[in-house]
Amino acid sequence: MRDKLLTIENLKTHFFSDDGIVPAVDGVNITIKKGETVGIVGESGCGKSVTSLSVMRLLKDTPGRVVGGSIQFKGKDLLSLSDREMRNIRGNEIAMIFQEPMTSLNPVLTIGRQIKEAVGLHLGLEGKKAHEHVIEMLKLVGIPRAEEIVNEYPHQLSGGMRQRVMIAMAMSCKPKLLIADEPTTALDVTIQAQILELMKKLSAEEETAIMLITHDLGVVAEMCDRVVVMYAGKVVEEADIYELFENPKHPYTKGLLQSIPKLREKKNRLGSIPGTVPNPLERPPGCKFAPRCSEVFDLCREVEPELLPVGADHQCRCLLYQRDLVKEA
Amino acid sequence: MFQYFIKRLAGIIPILMIVSIFIFLFVHMIPGDPARLVAGQDATQQDVESVRKQLELDKPLHQQYLSFVTNMIHGDFGHSLKTKRPVIEEIQSRFMPTFWLSVWSMVWAVLFGLLIGVVSASKRNKWQDYAGMFGAVAGISLPSFWMGLMLIQLFSVKLGWFPTGGLDSWKSYVLPSLTLGAGVAAVIARFTRSSLMDILKEDYIRTGRAKGLHERKVVWDHGLKNALIPVVTMTGLQFGFLLGGSIVIETVFGWPGLGRLLVDSVSFRDYPVIQSLMLLFALEFIIINLIVDLLYGVMNPQIRYE
Ligand SMILES: Nc1ncnc2c1ncn2[C@@H]1O[C@H](COP(=O)(O)OP(=O)(O)O)[C@@H](O)[C@H]1O
Ligand SMILES: [Mg+2]
Repeated sequence: MRDKLLTIENLKTHFFSDDGIVPAVDGVNITIKKGETVGIVGESGCGKSVTSLSVMRLLKDTPGRVVGGSIQFKGKDLLSLSDREMRNIRGNEIAMIFQEPMTSLNPVLTIGRQIKEAVGLHLGLEGKKAHEHVIEMLKLVGIPRAEEIVNEYPHQLSGGMRQRVMIAMAMSCKPKLLIADEPTTALDVTIQAQILELMKKLSAEEETAIMLITHDLGVVAEMCDRVVVMYAGKVVEEADIYELFENPKHPYTKGLLQSIPKLREKKNRLGSIPGTVPNPLERPPGCKFAPRCSEVFDLCREVEPELLPVGADHQCRCLLYQRDLVKEA
Repeated sequence: MFQYFIKRLAGIIPILMIVSIFIFLFVHMIPGDPARLVAGQDATQQDVESVRKQLELDKPLHQQYLSFVTNMIHGDFGHSLKTKRPVIEEIQSRFMPTFWLSVWSMVWAVLFGLLIGVVSASKRNKWQDYAGMFGAVAGISLPSFWMGLMLIQLFSVKLGWFPTGGLDSWKSYVLPSLTLGAGVAAVIARFTRSSLMDILKEDYIRTGRAKGLHERKVVWDHGLKNALIPVVTMTGLQFGFLLGGSIVIETVFGWPGLGRLLVDSVSFRDYPVIQSLMLLFALEFIIINLIVDLLYGVMNPQIRYE
């Protein structure tokens, strides 16, 4: 058993909108061990990004707030750190890359300057040393003409190159955890593969754990050691990668797996499960997936199932596997 | 960038041509007979006609325009009908007071406007924001003559720190430039706030925070550098307006500037002065526009590298 790096326990992040309180993340548990790549999958709107932003404490300027639970990183409770302590962790021990490489870099600052900032802040490198480190990082992520690119601006680079720059920036301080929120969704298929390959290589070399958020189970199969499946702000299943693909338990996971396009088939997004994700303001009582579930029975609409073990290192939130509870009722 | 500059500079000439036609026609549409004005109320019709001839007002319009343009090119802007002094002298003595007053007003306006705008945007819906925007609304809506009189009352009459009016030393600039700058500061503050608020929603701002940057750095460096791009245009425009001279401020503070010169010339139908002033204002706007465009390029790499 490897050491625990990140432990998210019963995380609740709610958005306070004019229409009401949106429980975007509604009791999420995720554990990431050192060097491990954990995939977070689920349809759009299920709270993946909000979970990651909660970990980074980047919900400032949104109506969202963590209202419950804890986030332990290397034994520290991130939620109780001061702003300053948190800044020392961001970009340093926990780095993040985002879905939109086209808009994630500041258009008026040079590439070099943007990476140097992190390096100066966390590694204390300045001047020539910082410059050399930046060039080294750019070369590491496979950017040609690194010496010139440092002085160029984001608009001079393609999306794939920009995502490489983001990775260079994120990895520049050798983080223990890299949070990647749909890092390849906005990219062409061939570029996607290259970026994933790069992340895989760097994380292996640096022993960086990755929290890989995606809605593409193909990406998960390619990259991850373990998978967390989310639905409507909750974890509905969690398992080892092989276990999950071979022995999925939750009807939602099964649906997701069925909707993966077969190898080499035209790429298809998730969501071919009938029905739509419930509006977070009007989630049904009982199991949130019940209205779309093919194996639903009466009790599902009344009782919210717990996330419970269904096998070795395998947990599922479904009444199908909680017969005792069903009998009791 | 240099080539671009030269191109823009050359582009000024046709613009000035067109502007001069409009000014010429405009001035000739002002009702009233300038020859009669120059000759005086009790001059005979004959006197009026001879004045008209002397001023070449009897010639066809296109000839008048041609001589207007050729004279201007030779630096001859004619004589004031009222004072009989060369127009160029009239304007020269008034230009510098207005110019420096505008510059100082802009210095305050940019300083306070940016400060208030940035603080308001980064403390959105907190007391700092409400206080800043209250000040901005006050700055826009309080009449400048009232503000000017209040400042005179307090700082000149009561405290005796600054003169009540006129232009003698640097002290004379303080109150009028603050009064004039207040309105512009308010406009800049509001504009900066909304521009920066939009920018702070951008993905790259989140990237900056995710890097571990201090919020101050995120806002004042990463945010403001982007938010300033539209602010610069607006600020240039405001500066252009100030350079035209403010009639109200110049009246309240007894300021020897272009605003009052314009009003005096218009009421006297002193059309050589009016023409030259209008041409000057147009030229000022053109130059400011050019500077703004260049700044745009400096600030926005996407344009600079085209
Ligand atoms: N800035 C925001 N303001 C209000 N609600 C938000 C905001 N961001 C996210 N949410 C809510 O949180 C839910 C989950 O969003 P998100 O975590 O981005 O989903 P995803 O799993 O696709 O990343 C959304 O359906 C939305 O209701
Ligand atoms: Mg998302």
